Amino acid sequence: MDFPSSLPPSLFMTGPLGQSDVPDLSFMCSWRDALTLPASSPQGSQDSAPHVAKALLWEPDMPGPLPLLPPGPDPWDPGLTAKDLLFRGGYQFRRHPRAVLDVTEQISRFLWNHGDIAFAPLGRLLLENFKLEGAHSRSKTKTVVSVKRLHQDLGGHQPWGCPWAYLSQRQRRFSILGAPILSTSVASLLGELLHEELALRWEQLLLDDACTGGALAWVPGRTPGAGQLVYPMGGAMDTLCFQKVSLTPESEPQVLSDPGRIQLRGPVRQVVTRSVQGEALLAVRSDHHCGLWKVSTQGQPAPLQVLQVDKGATGISLSPHLPGELVICSRSGVVCLWSAEDGLRQIYKDPETLVFRDPSSWRWADFTAHPRVLTVGDRTGVKMVDTQGPPGCGLLLFRGGAEASCQKGERVLLTQHLGDLGPESLHPMLHLICTQFSLYLVDERLPLVPLLKWNHGLRSAPLLARLLPPPRPGLPQPLLLASQGGELQLLHLAGVGASTPRLVGLPQSLPTRSDSLSAFPLLEPKSHRRLQERLKAPTVGLAAAIPPPASTPVLSLFQLSAAGDVFHQRLHLRADPGPNARAPAASWTPQATACCSRWLEALLEVPLTPPVWAAPTFSHRRLLGGFEPQKVEGLVPEGFRRAMAQGRLLQRRDLGLLPTEERPPAPEPGPEDELSERLEAAWEFGAAAWWERQRGSRAGPGKQPKRHKRRTQLSSTFSSLSGRVDLSDAASPAPSPDHTLPEARPQPPRTPPSQELTQEPWAQGVPSERQQTLRDYMAELPLRTDTPGGASALSSQTPSVRATPSRQHAPQDCTVQQLPRGDTPEGTTLLSSQTPSVRATPSRPHTPRDGIVQQLPRGDTPEGATPPSSQTPSFLATRSGSQRLRKKPRMGF
Amino acid sequence: MSDFSEELIRPTTEDEQGEPCVRSGSGMCFPWLQKHIESIASGGKQEKDFAQTTSACLNFIQEALLKHQWQRAAEYMHSYLQVLEDTDSNKRQGAPEIVWRLGSEILYYHPKSSVETFNTFADRMKNIGITNYLKISLQHALYLLHHGLLEDANRILTQAETWRYGEKSSSQEVLVNLIQAYKGLLQYYSWYKKKMELSKLDKDDYAYNTASQNMLNHSWKTSINLCTLIQIPGVWDPFVKSYIEMLEFYGDQDGAREVLNNYAYDEKFPSNPNAHVYLYNFLKREKAPREKLISVLKILYQIVPSHKLMLEFHRLLRKSDKEEHHKLGLEVLFGILDFAGCTKNITAWKYLAKYLKQTLMGSHLAWVQEEWNSRKSWWPSFHFSYFWAKSNWKDDKTLACEKALVAGLLLGKGCKYFRYISKQDHQVLKKKMKQMKKSVKKYSIVNSGL
Repeated sequence: MDFPSSLPPSLFMTGPLGQSDVPDLSFMCSWRDALTLPASSPQGSQDSAPHVAKALLWEPDMPGPLPLLPPGPDPWDPGLTAKDLLFRGGYQFRRHPRAVLDVTEQISRFLWNHGDIAFAPLGRLLLENFKLEGAHSRSKTKTVVSVKRLHQDLGGHQPWGCPWAYLSQRQRRFSILGAPILSTSVASLLGELLHEELALRWEQLLLDDACTGGALAWVPGRTPGAGQLVYPMGGAMDTLCFQKVSLTPESEPQVLSDPGRIQLRGPVRQVVTRSVQGEALLAVRSDHHCGLWKVSTQGQPAPLQVLQVDKGATGISLSPHLPGELVICSRSGVVCLWSAEDGLRQIYKDPETLVFRDPSSWRWADFTAHPRVLTVGDRTGVKMVDTQGPPGCGLLLFRGGAEASCQKGERVLLTQHLGDLGPESLHPMLHLICTQFSLYLVDERLPLVPLLKWNHGLRSAPLLARLLPPPRPGLPQPLLLASQGGELQLLHLAGVGASTPRLVGLPQSLPTRSDSLSAFPLLEPKSHRRLQERLKAPTVGLAAAIPPPASTPVLSLFQLSAAGDVFHQRLHLRADPGPNARAPAASWTPQATACCSRWLEALLEVPLTPPVWAAPTFSHRRLLGGFEPQKVEGLVPEGFRRAMAQGRLLQRRDLGLLPTEERPPAPEPGPEDELSERLEAAWEFGAAAWWERQRGSRAGPGKQPKRHKRRTQLSSTFSSLSGRVDLSDAASPAPSPDHTLPEARPQPPRTPPSQELTQEPWAQGVPSERQQTLRDYMAELPLRTDTPGGASALSSQTPSVRATPSRQHAPQDCTVQQLPRGDTPEGTTLLSSQTPSVRATPSRPHTPRDGIVQQLPRGDTPEGATPPSSQTPSFLATRSGSQRLRKKPRMGF
Repeated sequence: MSDFSEELIRPTTEDEQGEPCVRSGSGMCFPWLQKHIESIASGGKQEKDFAQTTSACLNFIQEALLKHQWQRAAEYMHSYLQVLEDTDSNKRQGAPEIVWRLGSEILYYHPKSSVETFNTFADRMKNIGITNYLKISLQHALYLLHHGLLEDANRILTQAETWRYGEKSSSQEVLVNLIQAYKGLLQYYSWYKKKMELSKLDKDDYAYNTASQNMLNHSWKTSINLCTLIQIPGVWDPFVKSYIEMLEFYGDQDGAREVLNNYAYDEKFPSNPNAHVYLYNFLKREKAPREKLISVLKILYQIVPSHKLMLEFHRLLRKSDKEEHHKLGLEVLFGILDFAGCTKNITAWKYLAKYLKQTLMGSHLAWVQEEWNSRKSWWPSFHFSYFWAKSNWKDDKTLACEKALVAGLLLGKGCKYFRYISKQDHQVLKKKMKQMKKSVKKYSIVNSGL
């Protein structure tokens, strides 16, 4: 194989990251990369023609990508933001503001909203100090408090910092009694766990590596223009969809028929596809499972294998050389190779990072040009490991350090083998390595010395990269780079055969989903914000295809967002725009805006995310039950009492007053309100939509305009009576910026049916992730299982008891277990006829054991409850299905 | 006033170093952390108005560049130059580098920019601040080189070479060396041209003498320029190559050998396959003994078993008298064909088919088995699958035949690849097929076990 006969000059210096004395010669790359030296034999300099490709540009058809598929029916919530996690007050005199986790606010919110969970066990401990029944305590001991009295004292006072709350003697006694326990145990036990959790969420917000590699794949079909998009769907991203799409160079892609669906038990994080020796394979990574499908030439998937990774899988790659071979890495530092012949084989294990110590447990593995050599990467570097050699040995391919003139704090985020894509493509020995600052190309024959370094300047983590074949022979290969925040960059890589790989021209940025906002119709602020949030959802998948050859090469780009939306954009190649040509600004076509309107309509029909839990309302109804309702006739009408009991708006008839001729106008928006709303709407360019809606809602009641008139006549006489009650939903004012507060939406907590089996009453409505924290917390508390009082208290205790033994599993050190496979014939199965499912091992607590990768047998048990059209090779139900709930629950505390 | 208070506070705070990005607890640095922190209206010192404006301007420039809107980028750049006047000394120090980086990029691509514009810009930028003089000079020279202005480039490099500021730091030294090396490369370039002219001249010509005299002078200067850099660990292929060529021309074989040995075998250098290739080519030109050549290629084989010189290596080994070399010859062939990029290398397959047969005829079954043992689990599906049989036969019948012979020898006549090819009917290849079948029957390692 050709090796570049002359490599670009570079300094080689060993040392740690950010060594200040190393001159960074990477400035020799970038555009200067095109500045080829006169080659050692000066004749060579004439034929190198970097000028030709200097002005290579892919032009988008439209100013932004368009939705390809209608939005899914499940609500989506943007999740946590820095606002939810960070301390909002700042140190006045700090030059740079710092990120400080706001534990105090979260803990107080938790104590307030989940007081029962926080204090119930303590209450049980203090049981002997309370007197629950009987108003009059005759006890001589001063340490017994009557609960009823205490409640009476507290009654009505909102303890939320109410400065006028009256402190009774009893309360004082209670606080003296409870303080030592309440302050230390709750705060210290919970605070620690909470801090840990917050730190975890914060890290996740900064870098969510779960979707590294991307969950969108393009499986080419039999004809060059046809293919399938494979992506996860649904609120929990646990339905794998196979959507047939046909691409033509002239028009937008056509979506054919309904997608095939496979329901999995866990969110899909990564979808990988490869065609090896004419066989298309599809590998899917979930948090704890990996699956492999074979896609027939008709495009129907047949399951081959499901692997369970207890410690959590971080990466999966399919071999470009041998059909059906794949490599999986787990958080325990184990890398396993699976193939049909050899089954599962551990080829590498190192819980430590490669170059220096880094706390991240993210691992990655990919193939190289040699089918038996793999790359194993972590945040600090990438190593080549020979699977046939002695375990653990290998050469470092990339080292986070002075060799690549890495900066301080620089870490590897993605490594990818830029494998073989045909005869005209780049060398199959090249590997792409992305960090948060730069992009490196490394040749595996010259380890440690990057052949190319480019500062990408992306504003979020680049976790997705796709290399495409050259759109036309002789042209450079497009390399797409997508960051989590949605930014897209397209680089042109050239260097076939004996020349060194280099960038052709300056990389270009492509429109993001947020750029499509202008294609949508004008909206009132609330919906506008919702749309904006949706378009800003992180990018979790990227796929691209080049439809059959046309006069100018066309690139179809698909992206998947965390909200489950698939967007599409077409780009045309403009190889030689001439010296003065400026890209004519692309504009929206009527079809595009129509498409966006349809999509938006469907989106607005999707209900908003119900809150994961509702703040308890501290009902005193039970206490009220103690008082006999006094029958007082006349003074307080029945209607009034009913309205009070139901907590609804008091109407005139409730008060027993007959509507009179000169009644005051019904509560309705005052003119000031309407004006301000309209202004607000106009401010957000939504005036037209607002007006539409306003007119629509007025048309219904019919008499409103009239009333309005009278209202003005009455002028200010009744202004004090007017209130804003009867507003239609659409015209309601935009939520306050603080709308993320969960208490703001007192709706009943939603508990998915799958949860009910395993969850205790106390846990209902508590996000699944947090339940573990709560369990941990409760397990730490000194509990007494035999307390007689309080059924609810007892029930809240059980899960912690149940949860504890699961953590006592002796860590099995990295055993690799392989169970016999079932005897389903491979390959010949049809989608509609077959319903294979992988049988579950008995449900187990999901406490991960160390590095066990278990291979499960394939079976052919049919599953009755599946829809007939879909095949259901489900991932096992090892966990309580709580992942179904939500992907990123808002933290309630 | 605000400046003053800033100055007062500065030494007390620890997170002060003007770091462009803030590091998180794990030691990882997030360039986007600042954005998150700014999203919460936190206290802390607000950036000054000017700082906010400049950073917005910088964003505009970068955005325009990535959209290839050179004109727009240039307009923003015009305003951005103001940043050089920043009152914040930290920012003022960093500014020239950013201005240069973006400015040169714009001028490189801008349709209306010319070499003169670039020259003016580069000359100005060089003298703002002191840290960037060498870097900018080097890039300026490269730009001129790229536009074919070798003499101008040489002038820039000569100016830069003698530039010094304060105490020599090692990074400065490396840059100076690099500048010298590029100058050397330019001198080599003109030397090469002269050499070409010389080769056209008659040796008895008067002009020949002056020309060769000229060349001698050049060589002496160049060697000084080149040899310092190539002693620093790094990848210096173009410099080494030209330096060797000149040394060889003047008959300094020992000097050349020393340079090449150092470049290839010094442990401080990265393991650069080209270093070994250069050494091998040099030794070959020198007509070094085969033993010597083999020892050089053996190391290259360990670094890059897929290198195209490996076929030559195999030929050398085959011709050798030593038995261990013959064994290595087989290993080398297997090694080449392990790689994905070499699967259709007809020469390698041809060599392997022939050599395999020869080895088996020479009753070295153990050698073959030793190589085959580590490959028998994956070569059948990697090379000898039904898919490849069909596609190889369709694309390249000769390749298919060679591969079929190897498949037959290694896997027996029952293997898919061999069966598919041997069933094909082809007039021209009929004789070859027959031979192939005979060889397989006679020498296949599967048969011999029976």
